Amino acid sequence: MTRALEATSHDTATSAGTMPTRTDEAQAPDTIFSYQELLRLDDALTLSSRETGLRFTLYLGDLGTRTRVRAEELFEQSGGHLPESVLLAISPGQRVIEVVVGAAASRRLPDRACALAVLSMTNAFASGDLVGGIVNGLRQLSDQAGHPRSLRPTH
Amino acid sequence: MTVVETLLVYVGIPLAIVLVMALLTMRPGKGQKKLRYKPGQSWDHEPVWYEPHPGGAGAHGGGHGGGHGAHALTAGAPASARPYGGARGTW
Repeated sequence: MTRALEATSHDTATSAGTMPTRTDEAQAPDTIFSYQELLRLDDALTLSSRETGLRFTLYLGDLGTRTRVRAEELFEQSGGHLPESVLLAISPGQRVIEVVVGAAASRRLPDRACALAVLSMTNAFASGDLVGGIVNGLRQLSDQAGHPRSLRPTH
Repeated sequence: MTVVETLLVYVGIPLAIVLVMALLTMRPGKGQKKLRYKPGQSWDHEPVWYEPHPGGAGAHGGGHGGGHGAHALTAGAPASARPYGGARGTW
């Protein structure tokens, strides 16, 4: 990313630490999604995490040859409280999605529920709808995990 | 004169309409704006990691004492998250 940004740099006179201009942002190589799509992703991640108390993160990128091992490595680097985290690792180039669920979270999100959400996501991905599939899959996962009593506002 | 008028009406006007339609549909630069994922195409973007907002999200954001009681049971060993669940799928 930095290399590409330097190649199309629209530097002003300042020598160091120039913020990317608007044209740079428009051509930045990591603009996979439009702003509306990013907003939908952000909302889905934040709302499902807030509702369930689990920490949902989403990784989009290559997963190597052993996708499950790579996804579990990524999950261990994801930070936060690992037993109550959920990682959606999606590699569109390899057409693979891996869902990794921590031990405590897997009691509320059994493998069967994850497989169902993965099925609906792969359906959407196969028709080219990345963001819609992710948002719907997150909704399914958070519905399945439910809203724990300790997070309810009325005690 | 009538031949020229007939040509103009029956050839010139349809041609003009077709040209206008072609210009409207095949305008350059319109297709570039929407980069849409198509299954099967290579994915040469940088890896991205999206996280939820920290405010109130996750088990630690709540700051609720009762919710953390469960951690004391499972957090004895550092590898307590180890039996991972999940699923995988391809498309």
